Amino acid sequence: MSEDAHYRFPPAAAYRLNRCLFALKSDAAFRQSFQQDAARAMTEAGLGDHEQKLMLARDRDALVAAGAHPYLVFMAELRLRMDRSAFEYF
Amino acid sequence: MLVGAFALAHTPQLIARPDTEDRDLVLRVHAAFARVKARLAALRPDALAVIAGDHIEAFFLDAVPALAVYVGRECAGTFGPYEYRFPIHESLARAVVEQGIERGFDLLYTQDRRLDYAFFVPLHFTMPEPAPPIVPLHVNVYLPPQPTPRRCYEWGRALGEILGSRPERVALIASGGMSHYPGTDRYASPDFDWDRRVLETLQAGRGSDLAAVTGEELDKTGNIELRTWITLLGAVGDRPADVYCYEPSWHHGNAVVEWRV
Repeated sequence: MSEDAHYRFPPAAAYRLNRCLFALKSDAAFRQSFQQDAARAMTEAGLGDHEQKLMLARDRDALVAAGAHPYLVFMAELRLRMDRSAFEYF
Repeated sequence: MLVGAFALAHTPQLIARPDTEDRDLVLRVHAAFARVKARLAALRPDALAVIAGDHIEAFFLDAVPALAVYVGRECAGTFGPYEYRFPIHESLARAVVEQGIERGFDLLYTQDRRLDYAFFVPLHFTMPEPAPPIVPLHVNVYLPPQPTPRRCYEWGRALGEILGSRPERVALIASGGMSHYPGTDRYASPDFDWDRRVLETLQAGRGSDLAAVTGEELDKTGNIELRTWITLLGAVGDRPADVYCYEPSWHHGNAVVEWRV
């Protein structure tokens, strides 16, 4: 798969970053802890200062450039915004 | 025996219905799903074998299987406010794993992973009554390197032979597609032209052509999930597809398709 593919091999250096995004997407308890104290949740998840800055800036392109999987960035962001009121308009 | 085969969109907006969506388009897809539900009821399946691509829900980077089979008593998951649980046809699932491995496919199996919404959304709309148990079949689509389209087709051919030799009446469902690019700059511009060419190929009964598509082309056209369809095509062979609908939304090519087997 070429380097300009939409979905690329996730580099091992970004494992903890991707694991944090995965937890935001799929682990309600982690998502709640992130919403209460993001810095603490990310520190406990093993993210370094630079990764935490990228996460707090919610800069998709910078996160993907750092090795984050685009789908995980997309869904983590969506889950943080998602609540029942955003559903079933028709 | 294989009694039916369908490819169904699992676009989450079809169930969540946020105000970003074209209501009439969504309802047209729902109407196509309703036709599938009626067809499935008429086919009286003992089990639904559902091929879907996990959205990094059951399988994260700690272990990435190319192909997997759920062989527990049941499977369950959540997606936003939706919670779901399905019984698994355990003996059929076990036969798929055992005979798949006998045939040279090194399948992962799980008795305890979560079930992704890619399985849930089509079943939410099309599960016949009484509801048969399911056999969830995972194909890796989101974590490169994914299985090649050729390999998916070959696995599908083996799967078709395995299901065909069983006494149960099995309907095969491929979940996913068509063109979409979640999380990327192209999210709002799917490749509808490529989708339509694929549908023409399928309507002409040339499904095996898709085995020759490359992984690069699937990525480029927003069709990484078409691996689930290609797996199904291996099972149904070169039969003409009946396209119930193709509805291009601002972010997805939504298709509902049947192959008569």
